[in-house]
Parts: sequence; C-alpha cells; structure tokens
Amino acid sequence: MQLEEAVSNDATGRRVPPGRWPILIGQAIIALVGLYAFLGSLSLGLWSSLGPGAGFFPAVLGIFLMVLVALWFVQERAKPTVETGGETFDRAQVWAVIASLVILAAALPFLGFQLSVFAFLMYHLSFRARIGRVKAIVISLCGSVGVFYLFTTVLHVTLPVATLPPLSMIGL
Amino acid sequence: MDVLNELMMGFAAAMTWQNLLFAFVGCLLGTVIGVLPGIGPVAGIALLIPLTLNLDPAGSIIMLCAIFYGTTYGGTITSVLLNTPGEAASAITAIDGYQMTKVGRAGVALTIAAVGSFIGGTIATVGLVMAAKPLGSLGLLIGPPEFFALVVVGISLLVALAGRSMVRALISGALGLLISMIGIDPVMGAPRFTFGMERLLDGVSFVAVIVGIFGLSEILSYRPGKNQAVTQAPGMRALLPTRTDWKRSTPAFARGTGIGFAMGLIPGMTGSVSSLLSYGAEKKFSKHRDELGQGAIEGVAGPETANNAHANGALIPLFTLGIPASPTIAVLMGAFLQQGLTPGPTLFAEHSTLAWTIIASLFIGNILLLVLNVPLVGLWTSILKVPYPILAGLILMFMVVGAYTINFSVFDVFVMIIFGLVGLGLRRLDIPLAPMVLTLVLGPLMERSLRESLDISHGSFAIFLDRPITMVLLLIALAIVCSPLLKLRKPAALVAEDPES
Repeated sequence: MQLEEAVSNDATGRRVPPGRWPILIGQAIIALVGLYAFLGSLSLGLWSSLGPGAGFFPAVLGIFLMVLVALWFVQERAKPTVETGGETFDRAQVWAVIASLVILAAALPFLGFQLSVFAFLMYHLSFRARIGRVKAIVISLCGSVGVFYLFTTVLHVTLPVATLPPLSMIGL
Repeated sequence: MDVLNELMMGFAAAMTWQNLLFAFVGCLLGTVIGVLPGIGPVAGIALLIPLTLNLDPAGSIIMLCAIFYGTTYGGTITSVLLNTPGEAASAITAIDGYQMTKVGRAGVALTIAAVGSFIGGTIATVGLVMAAKPLGSLGLLIGPPEFFALVVVGISLLVALAGRSMVRALISGALGLLISMIGIDPVMGAPRFTFGMERLLDGVSFVAVIVGIFGLSEILSYRPGKNQAVTQAPGMRALLPTRTDWKRSTPAFARGTGIGFAMGLIPGMTGSVSSLLSYGAEKKFSKHRDELGQGAIEGVAGPETANNAHANGALIPLFTLGIPASPTIAVLMGAFLQQGLTPGPTLFAEHSTLAWTIIASLFIGNILLLVLNVPLVGLWTSILKVPYPILAGLILMFMVVGAYTINFSVFDVFVMIIFGLVGLGLRRLDIPLAPMVLTLVLGPLMERSLRESLDISHGSFAIFLDRPITMVLLLIALAIVCSPLLKLRKPAALVAEDPES
C-alpha cells in the first residue's frame, strides 16, 4: 500500500519513484531556460551581412541546452541519479536562511546596515544557534556596528544608512 | 637579464609596507577561508573582492593572490587534524595526514606540508618568471580564432573532469554562458535577456552570482555535525620533523613540484587533480609505498607540494594568455577585470610594473605563509572551535556586504539570494558548479572572439579549419568531450567533496 502511494506515473506512463521527481522538474526547468533563450534570441537577430548577430550565440546555446537535457533524460531512464545521489538538504534551514536574507535585503535601504544586520545576527545567533543573550548581543554589535565602521572608516567602502527619519537623524 | 631587472623592480614595488601588509592580510584571510567549513576558495575569494575595491590595483591583486594560495594551506590544516579537507586540493592529504595525527605526528605533517607548499609554490613562481616573457610574446600572436579554440579546450577539460556526468557538466557550462549573455551585447550593443530592467543592462554582478552559487548554496546545504570533533593543536616541539622525515620527503617534494607545475599549465585542471596524480606517483615510485595510507610522510609531502605548485603554475596561462585554468583562477580573473586590468599578453605590455609587482609578491606570499602558518596552527584550530551556527551567521553577513558593495545596490543582494537557490538546485541535481564559473567569466570573451573570428572570415566557419593551431585545438576539445574513454576522472569520493566542482 505504502509503495503504491510512494510511486506515481510520469508523462510516458512509467512509474516514477518519488526521489526522481525533483530531477524531472529540474530537467523541465533547464529545458525551458534553453527554449526561452532560443526564442528570445530570434528577435535579436541571428545573422547580418557583417556576420553573426546579437542573438546567434544565445540561440546556439539554447538549442545546445535542450539537446543536453534530452540526453540527460535518456541517461536518467537508463541509470537514475537517485541511486548515485545528488546532495540533500534540510528544508527548514533553507527557508530560515532565505527568509532572513530577503527580509535583511528589503530592510537595508530603510533601516540602514547597522540596525538591520544587528537584527539579522541576533536572529541567527539567539534563535538558530541558541547561544546566550549577552554573547549574542556582543557578537551582533561587532558584526553590525563594528563592520560598518570597519568598512566606512578604514576601508572607505560605503554601506547603507537608514533613510527613515528618526533613525537617520541619530546617524544609523 | 631584462627579466631579472623587471623582477627586481617588481620586488622593490612589492616590498613597500602597504603591499607587504596586503600580502600578510591576504595570507591570513586565505588560511581562515581554507580552515572554515562551509566556504570554499571560489566563494571566499569572490566574497573578499569588495574588500579590495578601493585599494590600488597592485595592492588589490596582491591581496587576492595571497588569499588564493593561503586557502590551499588552510585546507591542509583541517585535512591533517580533522580528516576533513577545508578545500578539494587537500582532500588526498587527509589519508596519510590524519593517520599521522592519530599517532601524535600531526605537527610533523603540518610542517612538511608547509615546507612542501613553499617549495612547490616558489619553484612554480620561478617558472612563471621564466615563461612570462616568451609566452606573453607568443600570446600577442594569437588571434581571435586561436583564443576561441583555447578557451574551448579549457572548458572541455574542466567539463570532462568535473562531476560524475559529462552531460550535466556541459549543462553547467552552457548555463554559465547564458548567464554571461545577460546585458548589452558586446558587439552590436543590443540589450539581451534584461527583462526590461535597466539594472541588468550591465549584466548580473559576477561577484553576486559566484557568492550565491558557491557560497550561499554551500551554507544552505551544509549539514552541521559532521565536523564536530576538534583535535588539540600540536605544540612547537612536535612541529619539528626528524632527519628521516626530511630524507623521505625530498623526492616527494620534487615529484609533487613537477606534477603540480605541469598540471597547472593546462587550462581546465583543478588543484585536486594535481594532488591526486601526485599521490598516485608516490604510490608508484616511493621507496616506502607500502606505508602509504598508514601515515607515510610522502602521502603528505607529495600532494601538498603538488597543489601549491599547481596554484602558482596555474597563474601562467592567466598572466600570459588571459585564460583562467580553474574556477578559483576565474574568480581572480574577475577581480583583475573589476580593477580595469585585462590579464593576458597585453598585461606585460601595458602594465609591466604592475605585472612584475604581483609576480614578486607571490614569492613574498609563499615566505609569509611558511613563516606564519606553522607557528600559528593553534590559532587556526581555535577557529574550528567556534560553533558552526555562529560562523554561518557571520559568513552570511559578509556575503550580504560582498554582494552589496560591488555596485552599492540591494538589487545585487537579491541576485545573490536567487543564485544561492539556483546553486542549491544544481547541487540537488548533481550538476557540477565549476564549469559554470569558468564559462561565466569567459563567456563574454569567448563570444567576442567567436564573433570577431566570423567577422574576419565574413561569416565563414572555415576560418576555424584554415588555421592549423585552431583546428588542432578544436579537435583536442572534441576528442575530450566525445571520448568516454578518458581515464582522468576523479574518484567519486573526491568529486563529492570538491568545492571547485
């Protein structure tokens, strides 16, 4: 019963083990990228009287990519990668890191580097690493305020400052 | 004599206190990157490019080169002490190095590795000095068709050696080329794949893409727990090898230097191939080959010498022909381009002093690594005691800084995040990342040389068949890609651990 639930059918009607679905999806995405590159390059012009146009190289690459995906698909059917293994990962970790990075990137122009990075590090150190509060605050301060001054004063590389009025007025 | 004079002038420029400081800081940072889990040399160097943006070109490249060969030594420390290679080229060292640690000879292994790295690196740099002028002059004779063919050979070799499947390695290379097409077309000036976004007219930031694909995806896929054990650092006395150790290591040093230097010259070969071949040579030629795998000093001396000789030898194709031999060198090439310098034969013609200053700094960097790293082994192992989640938080913060400061734009941070997810997807699909980096850097140059070649021939592809060098090179590339009989594949264990693949 469990086995029946764990397998499903692919486009050709053959049963697909669950581990192979990510590979099939990956192949489809890469083939679509190839198709997009090919179609997108047609409007750029493939050839002119001077020789190859702006779309020539991407068009060739698009076709090449689709051919490679087709070859890979055939190879997969003969010898599935599920057996040899790609890397697996912890989904909770992936989402936690990606979400925190997206929020940090979105907050940077408004809250500035020091405040947003302080909050980012506090989240990673306190909630994810579960280290002591004092230790987390000290490391976060070094990583935010310390790095800000290292870059802006010593290395003369500009980092974003807050644009929201109360924060920008106190130099954050 | 001219070469010696120019080298001496290079030394004079490299030995200013600022440049010495850059080399010193680069060696330290490189060693830290080599030691740290979850960040390889490719992402590490890309990450630190922003640190060097406001430095003068010489200081910037000196620091990045020092980071580059610093990583090769840093990787050795974890290989020997923890049986966990910090970077791919040191993976093979773990076999005998860790066995030596188990019997209390970690200090000897680290000293021999450092001396071997110094010998290999220095001799390869001497090779660079001797080859620079003649190869540079030869490079000036190379036209667009030959350049295109050379790049194709480099990429096909890397494709053949990266990962488990050549088809997937080719997909990686093709994706890198397509990413490099984003932006204004270099010949006609037409915008390509910009989705109507002005920010993409200059293309996607090279640093953001590399940091995302190599660095962020590594953090996302990293499983803490596998590197928990930390060995005590050996004391100063334990660092001294015996006379027998020196005697046994000397032939291994010589073999490692020869193999590493020769492999470094071939575009597409990574340092891990050199160390692997060197270990193979020890298995075949060493007087004590029966002891290999059980803590033989030759198993440390040979591969470590080879990977540093490779690292410095691989700079020869970059300096003389403008072709990066490995993904890490490709990132270095990206740094050159960021500084407005085009590596290749014109570098010696247009920026002679700068080129010789960088070459002289390689000698200085090798000495610094030897002097610094062995006594500081305690410091490096203490870094490994920092819990991984703390390191990960700080590395992520530096990734954001690195991506942001290239164009001072949050857009690049989002680019990094997207490519982090792309990198994670590629890892999940078992698609090697190394060909992508190489094609990402070489894509625009490759396209330009292809189109210039076709412009010269008025659109006829016969130009690639009419020129003997081009034809031979393209045939070699075809043979590499088509031949399933190529026996140079790395063992699966190495492929899995290879951050360059």
